[in-house]
Amino acid sequence: MADETTLTAAHPAQERTAPPPAGPARTAAPEAGPGQAEPSGAATGSAVRGETGGTRTVTAARGDAPTDDDRVTNFFKVAGGRRTSAASRLATVVKRSLALVLLAALWEVLPRAGAVDPVFVPPLSEILVAWYDMLLAGQLPEHFQASLVRSLSGFGLAIVLAIPLGLAIGWYRPVADFLSPVLELFRNTSAVALLPVFILIFGLGETSKIVFVFYACAWPILLNTVSGVKTVEPLLIKSARSMGLGPVRLFQKVILPAAVPTIFTGIRLAGAYSILVLIFAEMVGAKAGLGYLIQDAQFNFRIPDMYAGIITISALGLLFNLLLLSVERRFSTWRTS
Amino acid sequence: MSLQTAGHNLLEESVAEAGEASARPVKIGIRNVGKVFQIRGSDRPFTAVQDVSLDVREGEFLTLVGPSGCGKSTLLDLIAGLTSPTGGELLIDGTPIDGPGLDRGIVFQQYALFPWRTALANIEFGLEAKAVPKRERRERARHYLDLVGLDGFEHRYPHELSGGMRQRVAIARSLAFDPDVLLMDEPFAALDAQTRESLQEELLRIWEKTNKTIVFITHGIDEAVFLGQRVAVMTSRPGRIKRVLDITFDSREGDLRADPRFGEYRHHIWTLLRDEVAAAQEQERTIG
Repeated sequence: MADETTLTAAHPAQERTAPPPAGPARTAAPEAGPGQAEPSGAATGSAVRGETGGTRTVTAARGDAPTDDDRVTNFFKVAGGRRTSAASRLATVVKRSLALVLLAALWEVLPRAGAVDPVFVPPLSEILVAWYDMLLAGQLPEHFQASLVRSLSGFGLAIVLAIPLGLAIGWYRPVADFLSPVLELFRNTSAVALLPVFILIFGLGETSKIVFVFYACAWPILLNTVSGVKTVEPLLIKSARSMGLGPVRLFQKVILPAAVPTIFTGIRLAGAYSILVLIFAEMVGAKAGLGYLIQDAQFNFRIPDMYAGIITISALGLLFNLLLLSVERRFSTWRTS
Repeated sequence: MSLQTAGHNLLEESVAEAGEASARPVKIGIRNVGKVFQIRGSDRPFTAVQDVSLDVREGEFLTLVGPSGCGKSTLLDLIAGLTSPTGGELLIDGTPIDGPGLDRGIVFQQYALFPWRTALANIEFGLEAKAVPKRERRERARHYLDLVGLDGFEHRYPHELSGGMRQRVAIARSLAFDPDVLLMDEPFAALDAQTRESLQEELLRIWEKTNKTIVFITHGIDEAVFLGQRVAVMTSRPGRIKRVLDITFDSREGDLRADPRFGEYRHHIWTLLRDEVAAAQEQERTIG
């Protein structure tokens, strides 16, 4: 059951942007399902995060040093940044942060009131204190850095390799025909299912984790790049051809720039995946990293530390997405929406 | 009855005045051209145009009207060199057309501007293809932007421009690389009536100024009469040239559309088209 959820939760975003080329391996999905162990809750959460990332807009970030709470509200403030008048912006901020403030309040009050067990769900303030202590002790920065290096390596590798491959598949029919069946098969094989294989081949060290992140990140980038190239407005191609452009310059001057926004959608999805899957890998076998921190804190019953680790991951994911969004905006100022 | 006599008079005049126009050399020669498509999933071939013969003279403004789906656009694609004919031959300056080239510029109904390029950069596109140096490119692009009345809009992206402005940019883009021939595929069909009229007048002004040969496709009879020196009327599919009419006015001063001869031309073309439109609709019904 959980496997089914994982599959359907992880894939719709890709499906939406990149209709898969028809291939016999399409039916491989159910068979690939069993054997996966990714917690379905985490996958669903990420999909949601990826979705909302598509609609919000980033315009400005506040200059003052953000606390954890602050950062969250700040994000919502930024989300309403399109509005021009200060009053309506304020109204939007209040409206948007209301649910969040309410959640924080409940998290504080319910454990204190004894409505939930404070041992398993400590009040938010205690978690923030624990977070701050770990920050000062240098524990948090260390794990944070370990995770960041891994996910950025895998993510960067995916960008460098998947974009050229996607361009080739999207542009050259023979390449597409040749690679499609294999890609279709692997696309439907969960990264999580392959983690044991990566560990077998690359050992328990950094390499297997980076390859794991790379594998997970490569798919959204690859599929979006392919669809970006394939869905270029035919009239633009016709127009460029009428001006005597050969295949090479047509690709360089029309196909590539037209595909950039779609490619970026893939990059942003991959950014979310990079953190998501890494945490899983770190829970399975690692001596550092945020996933390890969470797992370790839970084993040793340091419940506030565990929550502090989880909050850090959420914040990291949020920041990563915001960063990618702002880069994306820089590259696609011409887009109509 | 009186309408028919009006038509006859026009035809006689056409013959009489044909002498002046035919003195100029033929720019585009279309000789018995046919285009047959193989439709996927059907063994019956699709004949878009059949046995089309037409000469367009240098510096001429020719409009092409016909019922929808009669192969007007196919004919334009053939002249542009974007597809090749399955029969007959197409010549430009006496040499066969093989492939697209910068001696012909196309203006599409849907503008076909590159959305990631500003107005100026769009106009420069063809110049880049022509390998014009950067500085000259910029200068020329600005010149043509001025020509279409868009100075001050250099750095706007297409989505920041109105439909009429986009089409002006598209026209400027096609003019900028200085083709001899301008091929226009219903360029003003998507615009509102007022914008269309002002662009029509502007196009005539540009045509007089630049001496381009223009082949202009439209399904608007008024537009065809207003713009064309000659109007070629096409039949329903498979498209053939049914009649070519010379359009002459004593004077183009004032409201040309109110000129009684304008009405006569229009009615004459309307009569020619009526049967074709009915035939085209019949075809659509039987196919659909």
